[in-house]
Amino acid sequence: MEMFGHRRVSLCAGFALVAGLASFAASAIAEAATYNLTVDRVKIDTGDFVKEGIGYNGASPGPVLRFKEGEEVTINVTNNLDEATSIHWHGLILPFQQDGVPTISFDGIEPGETFTYKFPIVQAGTYWYHSHSGFQEPDGAYGAIVIEPKAREPFRYDRDYVVQLADKHRHSGHRIMRNLKMMPDYYNRMQRTADEFFKDLSDKGLGATLSDRGDWGDMRMMPTDIEDVQGFTPLINGKGPKHNWTGIFKKGERVRLRFINSSAMAYFDIRIPGLKMTVVNADGNNVWPVPVDELRIAVAETYDVIVQPTEDRAYTIFAESVGRSAFARGTLAPREGMSGDIPEMRKRPLLTMADMGMAHEGMDHGAMSGMDHSKMPDMNKGAMKGMDHGAMPGMDHSKMPDMNKAAMPGMDHGSMAGMDHSAHGGMATKKADPFYADGSGLLPAAANGGKFLSYKDLKAQKPLYKHRPATREIELRLTGNMERYIWSVNGVKYGDAEPIRLKYGERVRFKFINETMMTHPMHLHGMWSILDTGAKKWNPIKHVVSVSPGTTVYMETEVDAPGQWAFHCHLSYHAAAGMFRKVIVEGGPQTASLPATKEVGQ
Amino acid sequence: MRIPSILKPVFKPAFAAVLTLTLASGAFAAGEHGGGHGAGGHGGGHHGASAAIGEPGKASDVSRTVTVTMTDNRYEPERITVKKGETVRFVVNNKGEFVHEFNIGTAAMHKGHRKEMMMMVEHGVLEVDKINHAKMKMDMGGGKTMEHNDPNSVLLEPKKSAEIIWKFDTDASLEFACNVPGHYETGMVGKITIQ
Repeated sequence: MEMFGHRRVSLCAGFALVAGLASFAASAIAEAATYNLTVDRVKIDTGDFVKEGIGYNGASPGPVLRFKEGEEVTINVTNNLDEATSIHWHGLILPFQQDGVPTISFDGIEPGETFTYKFPIVQAGTYWYHSHSGFQEPDGAYGAIVIEPKAREPFRYDRDYVVQLADKHRHSGHRIMRNLKMMPDYYNRMQRTADEFFKDLSDKGLGATLSDRGDWGDMRMMPTDIEDVQGFTPLINGKGPKHNWTGIFKKGERVRLRFINSSAMAYFDIRIPGLKMTVVNADGNNVWPVPVDELRIAVAETYDVIVQPTEDRAYTIFAESVGRSAFARGTLAPREGMSGDIPEMRKRPLLTMADMGMAHEGMDHGAMSGMDHSKMPDMNKGAMKGMDHGAMPGMDHSKMPDMNKAAMPGMDHGSMAGMDHSAHGGMATKKADPFYADGSGLLPAAANGGKFLSYKDLKAQKPLYKHRPATREIELRLTGNMERYIWSVNGVKYGDAEPIRLKYGERVRFKFINETMMTHPMHLHGMWSILDTGAKKWNPIKHVVSVSPGTTVYMETEVDAPGQWAFHCHLSYHAAAGMFRKVIVEGGPQTASLPATKEVGQ
Repeated sequence: MRIPSILKPVFKPAFAAVLTLTLASGAFAAGEHGGGHGAGGHGGGHHGASAAIGEPGKASDVSRTVTVTMTDNRYEPERITVKKGETVRFVVNNKGEFVHEFNIGTAAMHKGHRKEMMMMVEHGVLEVDKINHAKMKMDMGGGKTMEHNDPNSVLLEPKKSAEIIWKFDTDASLEFACNVPGHYETGMVGKITIQ
């Protein structure tokens, strides 16, 4: 970081920044700022092992880049490696030639070369940057971006920390990919054992057990296929659980935590026992604040939360990988050197037949604007009678078989207190999150029984676009063959696929149908992904849309960025195995300058 | 002045907790309505708690006016000092882009009220930048509505203003707060010091 030559470097002490500086940033001076980054071989010490890797300015993760909305940045990137590199500015809206994807945006940065990126900063929020070359990103080539808004933030906080997660593996990315290609379950160490088989035999009988095993075999999948690369040490800001990254607070202060998941493969369930987290920003865009107890962060997503520790003690930031093979741990504390209790990891989930896609016919998640009571068995329907059902277009009463409708008019119209609205929210999370297949083994629940963030809670605070019907729909089936470790879109891997062609000015509705048993965080470069949660004009604006097994998810994109862009699953080894597309935006300004880049199959 | 719309429904409404105001010194907004106000009951000592935050004041007793500006998500000023027994007129302006509330109460009352505000969001009564007044009036059962017309609070759309006259005949530890979901948690709360 000391090599990070820039006027604001003094503010980058550690990852902390006293928020006063950020939130009272002077109004938009369209100034220019210059940054220098070197791409270096570095040592990464996870606490469990020390590993050669790749970093920026001598360290992994690289420095936090602090931009200001409205400025034009010049970033000189010098490649000190003996192989080509690149930097992609994840989530930033910029001219496509600056997007940093070799063969799509530019030709990459050769060894010894300095490449100068130059682009205006047209947004604010939390983002990140990483290499888009080979497996340099899993090898450590990533860092955080924090952009101060022109206008004051619509919330108040005293301290501001980046909390950047990563799943650092002992093996290099190339070696992992080789092993996966050779043996797709190479890193899946939590397979069902012979013991479990015999337990099922006695519980379910021979027929059912064999039939169940047969179904899974046909899918080339296993119920434990949640994390296909295990054996990593989760890091927070480069520090493993033993090194315990710590953010300092004074009791009563509000602390903004900017969670970024820069993992190659691992999703995390994040909580801070003893603290409510109020989610204020997702993927760089402010959302209507949602107080939650726990949230799940997909690979490449960001969530900003505000917490207010009121006691003079250490609080543990606990992030379990979704497959429960490992956890990241950090601490919020009034003083350095403190540590809080570290919870036990919960039991690993198992995928179900629902995740296999057996139960998803007819589901239309985008259209589910309200509630589906069939998934709310715990609901006290007797207490519902006062609700205005007419105001809830998405409610489907046909699926409420045990509801005694005749009894409703005569029911006691007693206190509203009879209707437990806190459970209402919680219930929806536990039983009816439309972003998981009905009966999914992946459905999250908060460790304390409280509120777990769902995509459907996310509402854009300031929609960037006028809400309008999409001009056309493009279906993208997420497909794969686990046995050969091939991941693809519509059954075709990147090297064999035609680009997706979009027209400047159209609004495209992408329909993701996940036909695999793994969750895929889909990332479109260059243009926003407006996730259809059913909230219409308040639909959240994201850059990663996570699609769970057995589900169909819609997102819409206003095609407002000419040029050519990458569109892929952000799991590093899935992208490399072919779940990747080039998108070409035809028409609009600046189209004359499409570069003549070479095509590469992967 | 906002005249508490007293003597409205016969049953005690969950949201418009005003009817008993003059009759029994009232349960104001931010009470623990979700925790179980039956008709007539004030849920374990709530009667005393609400009396303890002071009461609606008379215009003729107003000693001074405090102008409060609400933006996203803050108040200006963030601290207000009053004398015990003083009657203050608050002129509240929403200069933000979202709906905001100015509500006088204890931290516990605000906590209870946040559950109700969450319910208003879930029922589409409250949107980011607007209040659906028609939905507020809908019958939630037993004559209860989600109207938000308690004398100790105002809920305002952007560019709207309102007044509250409040008599601080109390020693309670009071806050003024916005209980629109997530706003309190992200900083929209101020301290009232009673001297």
